[in-house]
This record gives sequence, structure tokens and C-alpha cells, in this order.
Amino acid sequence: MKVTTDNQLQVHLLAPSAGVRSVQSVQSVLSMSEAPAEPFSANRRQTLGRLSRMILQDAELRADAGSVALGYWLRTANIERLAQAFERRQEAEPDVVFVPAGRVFHVAPGNVDTMFVYSWALSYLCGNRNIVRVSGQQNEVLLRLLHLLSRQMQEDPELAEGNRFLTYEHNQSISEAFSQWSTHRVLWGGDETVSLLRTLPLSPHASERTFGSKFSYSVISIAAYLAASTETADKLAAGFFNDIFWFDQMACSSPHLLMWVGSAEQTDTALDRFDQALAKEIGRRNYRGAPSNAIHRLNFVFNLACEADLSADLDQKEFLAVRLSDAAALRKDICGGGLFTHLQVDELSKVAAIGEERDQTITHFGFSLAELRELAQKMGARGVDRLVPVGEALAFEANWDGYDLIGDFLRRVTVRLKSRAW
Amino acid sequence: MSAGPTIEKLLAASPYSLPQTEKRQILTERTRELTRHHYERCDVYRNLLDRIFGGSKALQFDALEDAPFLPVSLFKTQDLRSVDPAAVVKTLTSSGTTGQAVSRIHLDAGTAHLQTRTLVKIMQHFLGVERRPMVFLDHSNVVRDRRSSSARAAGILGMLPFGRQPFYALREDMSLDVEGLQEYLEKTRGQSPIFFGFTYIVWQYFVEELEGLGKRLSLPDAVLLHSGGWKKLEALKVSPAEFRARLSAAAGIETVINFYGMVEQVGSVYFENPLHFLQASIYSDIIVRDTNTLEPLPPGRAGLIQVVSALPESYPGHSLLTEDVGVVEGCDNPATGMNGQYFRILGRLAKADLRGCSDTFQKPLPRPA
Repeated sequence: MKVTTDNQLQVHLLAPSAGVRSVQSVQSVLSMSEAPAEPFSANRRQTLGRLSRMILQDAELRADAGSVALGYWLRTANIERLAQAFERRQEAEPDVVFVPAGRVFHVAPGNVDTMFVYSWALSYLCGNRNIVRVSGQQNEVLLRLLHLLSRQMQEDPELAEGNRFLTYEHNQSISEAFSQWSTHRVLWGGDETVSLLRTLPLSPHASERTFGSKFSYSVISIAAYLAASTETADKLAAGFFNDIFWFDQMACSSPHLLMWVGSAEQTDTALDRFDQALAKEIGRRNYRGAPSNAIHRLNFVFNLACEADLSADLDQKEFLAVRLSDAAALRKDICGGGLFTHLQVDELSKVAAIGEERDQTITHFGFSLAELRELAQKMGARGVDRLVPVGEALAFEANWDGYDLIGDFLRRVTVRLKSRAW
Repeated sequence: MSAGPTIEKLLAASPYSLPQTEKRQILTERTRELTRHHYERCDVYRNLLDRIFGGSKALQFDALEDAPFLPVSLFKTQDLRSVDPAAVVKTLTSSGTTGQAVSRIHLDAGTAHLQTRTLVKIMQHFLGVERRPMVFLDHSNVVRDRRSSSARAAGILGMLPFGRQPFYALREDMSLDVEGLQEYLEKTRGQSPIFFGFTYIVWQYFVEELEGLGKRLSLPDAVLLHSGGWKKLEALKVSPAEFRARLSAAAGIETVINFYGMVEQVGSVYFENPLHFLQASIYSDIIVRDTNTLEPLPPGRAGLIQVVSALPESYPGHSLLTEDVGVVEGCDNPATGMNGQYFRILGRLAKADLRGCSDTFQKPLPRPA
């Protein structure tokens, strides 16, 4: 590390924060204390529980669905579940002592304001020290979350000493200094960020996890959907509403394509029912998206319609459902802001045929566990990381993009007393 | 499509003569004709109507609000034409900063002719039939390269035929040629010169320059026409009223007329009326739509502006949804001495950044200059 250079490099420290715009040298960021920590310590679990309460009691954050979901995810009951899973992990491997990975450098994505907390919280829980770089385009939710973290740090020296939340404009030298410092690097933020930062060298002993750009969709059984009660159809619409409209449909796991599996003759009836149920849900919630979303959807769909045989209905409010007649015309382009494509296929195996490496979440309705497991198997190495019920697309899990994040944030030290040869 | 009876009706009347109801009736009829015309002659347009507006039933509408429309940015990504390539006499392109896509508008002789005829009628309404000395608040190199397609060049070239003895008041480095200008004004004294420039250039390189130099001109018989959006002046917190007041103080120009138009609908421009609102002529009209639901809004409510023009025959641009936000302020008002609707532009629709996960290290937006 070039110490002299690092001293001149500066970042905006957001938590722990001394002021609105606290500027610090990279060198001082890197001089965090080296106190050893144990994974899933009581103190760390309690800290996350306190953060959960702070978020859920905060008037501003309570109005933001993503923050509420984060607040629930951090609550003690959920953290205890993770701790129990960790205990089972220890029991399953009696020859292993789990220790923290050490120093983790997180680069958080710009599209989901709460994401940096999930990535950090798991790593923190595992006992690591963390540098978390958040997007420079901070909005109120992000700043509010950082404010709460800062506040908690004032009462919690361990939290304050071992964690730095900061931002800086793209600067190779700064990213390089943090990369060199780290023993594990996590790059969120899609293809561009990953290819931009992946080339920066890590310590030869360090590991890395990267999250490229993703495409997510849904599979729905036409027969099951038509057989569903009004109550079920309404619940499903509510689930789709959350999956689609949170984060303006720009999260990695937000669905952009609805694949209707079943008979072609029944498709129109099913799609009509669906579009109406979603419109009803939008009305019930009095939802009004960003003013530019409608024109954004129009621009997308008019361009698409120049090339692909589709049908669309501009009378739809706050969303635009495009019906595609032929799977061959399918392009996995992302519009966002309430645009999705309906596509009918005869059987679930056809879904596997469109699978790609970048596929992430499939939300589902109307299939059996056996069918879904078979689909996962068929898609195999080619793609898809999660198959979860409609409404849970955005629910963060410690297994993400097919990786065990807790496992990433830990190091496994083998300790064996007796020789195997004996 | 040779000039039919409906367009002839419009061309026969003077630009602000018809009351709104009567004008709407003729314009709606013309829009139906144009919609069918493009549906029959432009494959892409036909596909769009079939796929998005329900096919041929979209050709039959009673109210102008029910006419199909295209988002204006489609001309940036698609080549839309309703005539043979051989019939195209001129292709207009929109402004656009480097790297941005530009609109491409294909004109045949007929549409170009219609545009000129209506533009002449609108200009003459405000400036009289006599051609007057014309001062461009820009430098001459902007138009020297005739292939140059900048909006500034297009604006000046479009304006040239309406004046005489053109004089460019700026040097190539955008400095004001005060001596040259004073000499020109001396020569043309008493002939009511027309000044023309883009709003922010008028402000930055004429008004502020005169103020800085401590010069004060007196041109009570001059008219200043300006166009090009308020975004840059808004950033400087300059209101239209202040723009006019400071122009009057620095240059002594009392008659200042803003106009709103776009390369996608040349000819049917919206000039400022005596109440300082943008007045629709009989050749075009606007519909204001809710930004979210796209439903038509009544006067007084702000929304996206759809522009409907009677002129475009060679390209399907007769009904376009813009990304400008505006509000209808009145109609057929005797105080203006003009018939038809008038409105105000509130600005370009603010784009919510639909942040993909890949913009983590997105560069911050440049500050307005």
C-alpha cells in the first residue's frame, strides 16, 4: 500500500459521522481497531435488534416499504433464526472452528437503498470489520438509515470502532486501497460495477463475491389461477404489487416477465383476470408512481412494438402489461417503472428453455414442490437462483444469487486432535 | 397526400380567426385523415396502431383526445416515413448534445411547403407583411456549414426568409460586436428591426453583456423573438418577467415574443400572446394529459403536453406526446384579440432515475452551466 498517496485520498464518512459532510482520509479509515470478535456474539445480535426497533419506530422510514422490510428482517426473532442455523452448521462440522473472514469491503448497489444494510449486517454478525461504500446518489431513505446507524454507534463502541460507512466518487486509488485492506470483497451493483472493480487486485489471501446484473420473472399455472378464489386472486395481486412496484421494479429480483403455463385457449381469460386484479390493487392502495414512469413505459413499449408482434392497452394505469404472442420475440430487456410482459407457454419445461446465467428469482403460483424442484434441476447451471412464492421476490435471504453469504463472511479453521491414520 | 379540402379550409382562414369549437372540429377531421393516411403508408405506424391502439378501430375517433399518438422520442430511435425515400427533400434533425440520439424528420416537398405557408401566416400576424432588418443574436458560423443540423442553425435558417439584411451580432467567440451592431442599427434606423436568438444566448451574450459593458440601447420599434426553453434561465432563477424587464432596460426592446415549437412539428409554432401565454394557431392544438394515467386534463391542470398538427404528411408526426409539462390557461379570450387555446410551459418532465443495479459508480450529473 502506498501510504503517502492514501493519506491524500479522501472520502465522505457517513457513519460514524461527525457532521453533515465529514471528510476523512482513506488512511484514517483504514486505521480501524483490530479487536478480535466472535461470530454471532450476543452483543452483535442485540445491536441488530436495536437497529430493527429504531427503523420500525422511525416515522420517516415506516413510510418506506423497503425500510419496513429491512426492519423486520433485522428483528431479534429473525437474527435468532440465523444464529440457530449457525449453531447447526457448527454441530454438523465438529472439526471446524468458525472465525470471521476478517476485513470486508462492501460496494453497495445504487438501486436498492436498503441493500447495503443486509450485506453489512450479515458480515457484522459474523464478527467482521467492515468498510461499506454506498452510492453517491443518496436519497432520504439512505441518509436516514445512516443517521440511525450513526446514532447507535454513539452508544456502542464496538459498532463504532469496527465499521465505516462512506461514499466517494469513482476513484480507482481509493477502491484499490480498500481492496488491498480487505480479506473479502463483496461487489454488488451489476455488470458494470463488477467489471470496473473486479480488476483491482486483492491481497493474495483474500476472497471475493460479485453480483452481476440480473433478470427475474414469474411462472403462473393458468389452470390454478383460473381455479383460484377471488380472495386468492386478490392476495396474489397484492403480492405482485409488492414484487413489481417496490424499488420501482429495479431491484434484481423484481419480475419483468410473467410466464403463463397452460392452455392457449384459457390465456386471455387468465390475463384479463390478472390485469384487472392488479388494477384493483393499485386503486385500493391509491398508488401513484413517479410522474415520469408512464412516459418511460410508453417509450419502451412503442420501441418494442416496432419490432415485435405484441398487444398492449394504454388505458392501464400505473402499469403497462405487454402481451407477447411468440416466445421467439422475447427479449430480456429491463424497462422498470411498472412494465411487464405476459407470455404463454404450454408446459413448465418451456420455462427452462429460456433460462440464462443472469436469471435470478422466479416467483411462482400454482405448482407443486416436485414440479418446482424439477424446474430448478432442469435449469441447472444455466441459471435461476431462487424459486419463491409470489410476493416474496424482494425478501432478502442469507442465500442470495445462489451463494451462502454467511459462509462467505466466515473462515473455517480445522482443528483435529487425533490423527486420522490412527 | 395532396392538399385536401380540410387543410384548405385551415389555410384559407387567418391563423387565429376560428373559435376553438369550430377549429377543433376541422382539426379533428384533418387528424382523422392524417391518421388513416399514415396508417396506409407507413408500415411501422400501422404496426404501432395495430399493436397498441387496437388496429383499424383506432382510425375512427370522434374527439381529438381519442386520436392515437406517438411518444415524441420515437423519432430518435425509429426511422418513420410515409413517403418513398426518393420523395424526401429534406431531413430535419433535432438538437442534442454529443452522444445523445437526435430526431430525424423526413420532409417531402408537400409537407415542407405546408410548413412554410403556415409559418409565413403566423409570422406575418406578429411582424406584418413587410420584411424588416433582421439581427441574429448568434454568430454567422453557426449556419455557414449548411449541412450542420444544430437546432440553432435550423432556427436561424428558418427565420432568414422573414427578414432582410441579416446581421450576426456575435463574434465566433460569442462576444458581442457592439460597434458593428450600433453601426447596423444606425443604417436601418426607423425600419423596426427584428432580433432573433435562443433564449439563453439572448440572456447570456446580449442582455448580461450589455449590462456588463454599461451600454444601453434604445430600440422602441424593435421586436425580439426568442425560443429554446427556460431550463438554463431557470437554473439562474431568471423568470420570464425579469427576462423582459432586463431586456427592456438594457436594449430598450419593448416587444419580446417567446415561441414554442419543435423540429417534429415545424410550421405549427406557438407564439406568445399579449398575455404572455403560448397561443395555438388553427394549424395545431395541444391536449394536456395526466403524467401518470395519460387521461386528458381540463384547463388549469398541469400535465404532459400532446401536440396535434395539421401539417405532417410525409412522416407520422401529426399527433405526438411530448415530455414537456404545461397547463392550458385560457381560450378564445377577447383580451388577446386571438381565438383558440393558450397555455404555459412549466418545463421538461423531471425524469425519475430508474436506477438499475449497475449505476453504483454513476458519475454525478453535471451542474447546469
